[in-house]
Amino acid sequence: MVFIAILIGCILGALLGMNAPMISYTYSSYLAIAVIAALDSVFGGINSVINKKFDLKIFITGFFGNAILSILLTYLGQKLNVDIYLAAIVVFVGRMFTNLAIIRRYYVEKWSNKLEKLKEKKEQKTVEENK
Amino acid sequence: MQNKKIISIVLGIMCFLLTLGIFVQIRTVNSTNTTVSQNYEENNLRADVLKYKERYENKYKDLEKAEAELEKERQDSTQNNTELEQKENEIKQGNKIIGLAEVTGPGVIITLSDSKRDASTALDISSLLVHDKDVLSVVNELKNAGAEAISVNDQRIVPTSSILCGGNIVNINGEKVGSPFVIKAIGLPEQLAGLERPGGYLYWLEEATIEVDVKKSNNITIPKYTGVISYEYAKSVE
Repeated sequence: MVFIAILIGCILGALLGMNAPMISYTYSSYLAIAVIAALDSVFGGINSVINKKFDLKIFITGFFGNAILSILLTYLGQKLNVDIYLAAIVVFVGRMFTNLAIIRRYYVEKWSNKLEKLKEKKEQKTVEENK
Repeated sequence: MQNKKIISIVLGIMCFLLTLGIFVQIRTVNSTNTTVSQNYEENNLRADVLKYKERYENKYKDLEKAEAELEKERQDSTQNNTELEQKENEIKQGNKIIGLAEVTGPGVIITLSDSKRDASTALDISSLLVHDKDVLSVVNELKNAGAEAISVNDQRIVPTSSILCGGNIVNINGEKVGSPFVIKAIGLPEQLAGLERPGGYLYWLEEATIEVDVKKSNNITIPKYTGVISYEYAKSVE
């Protein structure tokens, strides 16, 4: 159910994005940083699902809050002539990598456990047959 | 169950927004990044330019052939008439002076090219480049030194010639000309080579690490002006 919803959302978004009007180049940096922030909160959400701490409210507020906050910070940075968006990218992408590492570790452990169980079963079988 | 439905709807909406943003961004970047990347359209335009250049050269060859024919006709018709022959010689002399005829003779070849120095070590990057101003000054000094005919990258300098900055190129006679600039001048070679004197313009260009090469030659050919000199306002005084 959840995966179907995600898939439908992705397909619809891609279709609409291909046909949507283009934004002007001056605003594309804001959109880019918002996309990065949203991606970061998505990976954070997956991480929290793995750790069984998932909270929908936190996820939604993180998704939109991060995006809007990063846009505002980028705007402020442009007004102050400081590249604040660089800091935002460093933080978001750094967090993305740590989240991805946690996700990877979780699945690798899961699969290696499964493989070990299979091996043990096989060994048990062979021992039984030998008997 | 209710909770799961809400979660899936919310996640669907989020993924929708996320992919929408990503795709719009990709399209925007793709459409505006044309100056950096060499895309298909740019290559097509370049091929078109080459095609037109070829066509122009073909037409120009035809024109040259026609002019040679005209010259022959003229010679045939003026052969046995001393007065007409005199006029013909006057026309030739005039063409030579205003740059409508190819000329050959002794002179110098000055090559100016951009500095090979690493741009990051320069105080002023602009000083490492050959500018329109530099070409103009060298041409001016050549005229002062008694040059009778001058060309820059095969663009003949005529009375109506202009040397203008055009960004990373220089416009001469309305044609784009780029570094290295090969300036040919016909005149007394020893006199023209005096441009290299300490304190002269070439000296200062060399000081600014621009590559300057002055070569004396006994046999320089300077092409004729390929454009049209039109005089609309200047009337001769009777």
